[in-house]
Parts: sequence; C-alpha cells; structure tokens
Amino acid sequence: MELRDAQEKFRAAGVALYAISYDDRKVLAEVAETLGIEYPLLSDLDSSVIREYGILNTQVNPSDGILYGIPYPGAYVTDENGVVVEKFFRDSYKRRESAENLIEAALGRLMPEEDGDPKATGGEPDVRITASLRGGGGTLKQGAQRKLVVRFQLGEGLHLYGEPVPEGMQPTRISVAAPPGVVVGEPSFPPTECLRLETLDLELPVWSGTVEAVIPLYATSELASECHPLERTQATLEVTVRYQACDDSACLLPKSEKLVLDVPVLPVDVQSISLHQGHGQRELAIQGEPHMRRLFLRKAREHPVGVLRFVWSEVRMELASRLGLRR
Amino acid sequence: MKPETDELGFEAPAPLAHPGRTGLPAGHPTGPEVGERLPDFELPDSAGRRVRFHEDRGNSRAAVVFYRSAVW
Repeated sequence: MELRDAQEKFRAAGVALYAISYDDRKVLAEVAETLGIEYPLLSDLDSSVIREYGILNTQVNPSDGILYGIPYPGAYVTDENGVVVEKFFRDSYKRRESAENLIEAALGRLMPEEDGDPKATGGEPDVRITASLRGGGGTLKQGAQRKLVVRFQLGEGLHLYGEPVPEGMQPTRISVAAPPGVVVGEPSFPPTECLRLETLDLELPVWSGTVEAVIPLYATSELASECHPLERTQATLEVTVRYQACDDSACLLPKSEKLVLDVPVLPVDVQSISLHQGHGQRELAIQGEPHMRRLFLRKAREHPVGVLRFVWSEVRMELASRLGLRR
Repeated sequence: MKPETDELGFEAPAPLAHPGRTGLPAGHPTGPEVGERLPDFELPDSAGRRVRFHEDRGNSRAAVVFYRSAVW
C-alpha cells in the first residue's frame, strides 16, 4: 500500500517499479484496479523467478500448502544499466522498506522532506538544526522502515566535529529517546573532511555547510500490533543533539539541543481474509476468500498430499484457539 | 488466541511455529549481489501482458520488490 501511495514519486524520480509474487493474474488484476495501482504487478505463478533469484523460502515446503512457493520478501534497486546498487532483505517479513528508501537508494541521495513530515527545528543562528521523520508520510507503523534525518545548516566558515577528536572537544552525537516498541538504529553521517590545524599539529574530522545524519528506525508490535486495534495513535520522538561549532580561530560553546517530534501511529494494511479481519487494521476493499480458494485449489493440484497435511494442521490450529488455551 | 510475539517483537495472527512466520535465516543468500546485473526475466502482468524486465525498464533505474502474496 505504501508503494501504491508513492507510485507518483517513483514516476517523478524516473525509477521503474515492479512488484513480483506467486499470485495469479486474476487477483493481481483486482488488486490493481481496486487500489489504482499503475506499476506492473507480475505473476510468478510457479515461483520460477523467485527460485532463479535464489530467494525461495525453503523453510516452507509442499506440506505447508498454499504457502509453498513464497519468497523471502525484499527488494533490489538498480541503476540505469540494471545493475544492483542496493538490496533490502530483512530478518522478518514484517520489516518493509518505505517507498522513499527505495527511491533514495536508486537516486543515491536523500529526498527532500515533505510538508506533512513531522519536523522540529532548533540550534542557533549559525547552526540551524532540523529533525524530520521520513517515509510513509512521516508515520510509524509496525515493521515499516523509517528514517529520522537530522540536518545541520552551518554558517560560513563553521564546522562540526566527527570522531575521534581530542579530549575537550565535543564531537557531534545524536541520540533518540522513543517509546517502547520503537527500534532505533545507529546514526549514519556522511564522510568527514580533514581539517588540518597547523599551529596545533592536529588533523580533525569535520563537516561544514549542510550535513545530514540519518537514523533508521521502525516500530514493533509493542507500539503498533496488527493483532489488535492501536493503543495509541501518536508517539513522541525526542532527539538529543550534542555538538560544537568552530571556525578556524575560535569555537562556540558545546551545546546540547533537544528536538521533539510528534509522529502519527497507523495500523497496517491487511488483506480481507478472515485471518486478518476484526483486529482493527486497515482492511483492503477486496473479497479475499474467492482468491484464497483459487490459490488453495492451484496448490492442491500441484501438491495434493502436501495440501492435505496443510489443511489438517490449519484445522488443528483453529481448534486449539477455539478450545481457548487459557493464557 | 493471544498473539505470540517473535524475538524481534512482532506479533501476527498465527502461532510462532506457523511456517508463514519464517524469516530469513542469518547469513542466508539473498540472490543477486550489489554490482551484479539483475538476471532478466519475463512474467505476465495483471493485464496478461508479457513483461520482459530489462526491455521494459529501458534505460531507467528500477526497483524490483518481491512480496509474499496479495491474497493473504
């Protein structure tokens, strides 16, 4: 759904988007029409391309019925020659890249922030600091990868420090305090330049001009589960920035700046099959059951014994939950 | 059924042991590497049109997303 919401951005950036699954044309056609998807939804019916790429989920086998043939989900981003420049495969199928992540990987640079992105500004006249949350319209959603971008705009002649610097100098450090259920990664900065201070015989790693640091983060079920309605619709991210700005002759005092972002929290988009319904998520406006039946029959024709085993284990799972294992 | 949370903190409407919850094992290969040209492929799109990847994208940069299913 996030890809759909951003399909215009892909077009504007000149990045051709393709989505591949083992689904048949019929459900893909309905999805494309109902959701207004204009990029190709490709049908890898027998998972041959998934297999050729080496990303077939081999922990799932024919006795897992309709599941057999799924890939480990992920994405490849290529340059104009079709050569991979970046790829995204995560430890959980729940972790998804934002559309912006993919476009930025293709372009090799960050996109500008958008009007709706949660944003906070601070700093001082010659050191303007802006923190913004990018991706998915600047929202938090279970598993969706987001980027917190902290931008420094330095006045003429000023620089900030990377690491390592001698004792007494403040390197630039960013930390994020987030509610439970938000997993915050390490900040990544662009490469520093080397500033040579002849008089002190020192070489210092510095940044000047405009500098953007990126902190990846995503939400787990503790913040936003797909199994029950949201407990909160908003989360606060507190970004603490420690820095010291200097020019060639003097330094401003080291500073600690706190920027606070209020971020909307959203439910996930789920298919309209009974498994997902009634959990307070965003259900797609498509009747899922007929497509499930067709998928089931297709897999049953391919692997009859496997599918029987799958049905039996699904029935057992349903019975177990109905008999209400008291938890 | 109380949702079972995996070690990454994710819940799903299926037990932990369900094959649908399997993730990429650590160190598992993930197909074509950075620096490699994506292998060409030809697949039908939702309208039944046959799409040959490199021909279709022409000289554009591309993003190819593999997902599990639009059905479930």
